[in-house]
Amino acid sequence: MSSLIGFLSLVFAIGINFYLLISKYIFKFKNLPFYLFIRLSSLLTLLSFFALMYAYIVSDFSNYNVFQNSHSNKPLIYKIAGTWGNHEGSMLLWMTVLSIYSFFFSFTKNIEDSFKRSTLLIQAFIHIMFGLFVVLTSNPFLVNSIFVEEGLGLNPILQDPGLAVHPPILYAGYVGYSIVFSISIAGLFQNRDDEWLHVAKKWSLISWTFLTGGIALGSYWAYYELGWGGWWFWDPVENVSLMPWIAGLALVHSLMMIRGEQALIRWIVFLSILCFSLSVFGTFLVRSGILTSVHSFAADSSRGIFILLIFFIITGFGFLVFLLKEPKKSYSLKLLLINKASALVINNILMVIATLTILLGTIYPIIIEVLNNKRISVGGPYFNSTVIPIMIPGFLLMSVAPILSWQTNKIKNSKLYVLAFIFLSVAVLIQSFYLTFNTWGFIGILIGSWIILASIIAIFFSYKTKLNIKFFQIINPHVAHIGVGIAIIGITCSSVLKSEFEFNLNEGDKFEIYDTKILFKKIETKNEINFQSLRAKFLFDLGNKEIKEIQAGKNYYPVSKMITSEAGILHQWYRDIYFILGDQKNDQWFVKVLINPFVSFIWLGVLIMIYSGLIAVTRR
Amino acid sequence: MSLRFQRLVLILITLTMILAAILLILNNVRENISYFYTPSEINNSNFAIDKRMRIGGFVEKNSFNKISSSSFRFRITDEKKSIAVTFNGILPDLFREGQGAVIEGFFVNNITFNATSVFAKHDENYMPASIKKDLKNTGYWNKKYK
Repeated sequence: MSSLIGFLSLVFAIGINFYLLISKYIFKFKNLPFYLFIRLSSLLTLLSFFALMYAYIVSDFSNYNVFQNSHSNKPLIYKIAGTWGNHEGSMLLWMTVLSIYSFFFSFTKNIEDSFKRSTLLIQAFIHIMFGLFVVLTSNPFLVNSIFVEEGLGLNPILQDPGLAVHPPILYAGYVGYSIVFSISIAGLFQNRDDEWLHVAKKWSLISWTFLTGGIALGSYWAYYELGWGGWWFWDPVENVSLMPWIAGLALVHSLMMIRGEQALIRWIVFLSILCFSLSVFGTFLVRSGILTSVHSFAADSSRGIFILLIFFIITGFGFLVFLLKEPKKSYSLKLLLINKASALVINNILMVIATLTILLGTIYPIIIEVLNNKRISVGGPYFNSTVIPIMIPGFLLMSVAPILSWQTNKIKNSKLYVLAFIFLSVAVLIQSFYLTFNTWGFIGILIGSWIILASIIAIFFSYKTKLNIKFFQIINPHVAHIGVGIAIIGITCSSVLKSEFEFNLNEGDKFEIYDTKILFKKIETKNEINFQSLRAKFLFDLGNKEIKEIQAGKNYYPVSKMITSEAGILHQWYRDIYFILGDQKNDQWFVKVLINPFVSFIWLGVLIMIYSGLIAVTRR
Repeated sequence: MSLRFQRLVLILITLTMILAAILLILNNVRENISYFYTPSEINNSNFAIDKRMRIGGFVEKNSFNKISSSSFRFRITDEKKSIAVTFNGILPDLFREGQGAVIEGFFVNNITFNATSVFAKHDENYMPASIKKDLKNTGYWNKKYK
């Protein structure tokens, strides 16, 4: 029953949007309750999504999608998360997020009515395309033709609280660029240059903040769930999310420029189209099954072709409008050698180059396979040795950019900065010789700490410290950069200074890593609701009679006959001690231990970026 | 400095950066890719000791051998030819005899492949698209796999 309601409301939602489009362009109706219809369509899409969720919660196995991806003895949170833990459901989530964005956008004030309508019509057009995709190729409301009492279960890897919220937040980021795209296209049509940029800024900040959160959640999940000890693998799906993130960052930065009198409108429009194109392209790569990864649910060529078609329509339409429509007013940009505008331009160019580099590495295997039928894989080293060097000049620029002036070549307090930089370089050099010297480690730590120091100097020397909201809004760009600096230090240390140990242990064995004494206490097995767990317990003697316990092990899921690894992690502020339980022979267990220094800095840095994203949204 | 000259400098900087990026990409693409084969595709033209590559296929039945709790021997097959593999470390959770796996590493001699990493298929019905195509061609294709 709920499936029927879901399907019908989805079809009605698409129908309403279709009606709006043809009534506007063919029949040219006036007096249409336009906003009412848009909101109704959004709510119907939402209803359809909740109907599917309801089918999952009550384990309604007469729905084929629920039967394939759920099981009745699963905790409630994974029943809900199961809604988007499969191809069909996740596409419905995509549409739902699109509708929610349209819904909220329809309430925006201080913007002209005709402009708002054009934007929402473009949104409706995107809604129709993806709606047809869902209904025709990936319908989540199909009826199960046989009667069954039990479902096939959700992939155990996905049964994790972090991963339950990862897709909705990530989609809120991806799909948020649809509204930025629609605003830009509408802006081109309407030829009103100033107001729409402010609106676009707000929405692109919202999407970027969500995307940051979504990527970070996925990465954190990979870190503690996959049991490989790393948090980024340059997996195609990760790359696909990183591309719109970097392009979106470029967009947010160029939208900052509109506070001055100069505006690079065409560039901004280009970036908005690029961001949404990359989002759709990512959806295509992941959903078509061309790439193999945890995220590709099923390979069905008709789906791939359909999304590719949508991708070409959206990208083609966007760039065509972009080329044909000239914005009316065109300010010339005041580019000086080292003023704010030129710093932002260089930073934008770097980000676009980085995006293209990642894109090339991601689709290179596909191109090679099509061209000469050889299969290759481009691994992490390619990305590390191209993307990082490209970003380094940008990072250097970032540390000083916020204090550059718009109009002149002068830098405030330039002597102070030079002195601080020299002092810091010497300090980092001494520190890195004291540890083990590593060129990348040195560069990373220097850049990271320099960004933090320069931003702090800028905060204290350029503004009067006050404890009110306005002050936090003014220093916000610096705060965001401090977050990046912290994250850079974390990324550098955790990849350059990490160390690995391997042990063969019996229960009761004692061993030492650096100066930490560890006891392998025992192995324990337990029956949980929907899995059996095997845990090795380790006790840490941290001195001062402080003893901590961590557990590393495996879970066995009888429904899908799968085993998942559960890493045990001891979090300390300056390092993570990461335990992976391996195989066993003659009561000896293989244990791999990774020491990952300063991993917590990465998450802290990301949290600061998200915080400043939120603050930036509140600023007009 | 005139405004024009400053702009020229900026354009030059941009071009230099783009050039540097292109050089980086070209240089790295050649060094950091690994080719993918199935066991029967390995022949004299692409075989070389110590060359990094990926091999995909099935873990042969009754070939798995645990030497210690962290070192393993098994064979990867595509039903035409099989290759002996050694691996040190922790095998992925989904690694099982008779199931699909992709190994990355290099040949240490003419017959033994030393895997530095092992990837197993992600779920019951999952199979990398590239292996799937080959297995369909060789006729060793289980309908159960999607």
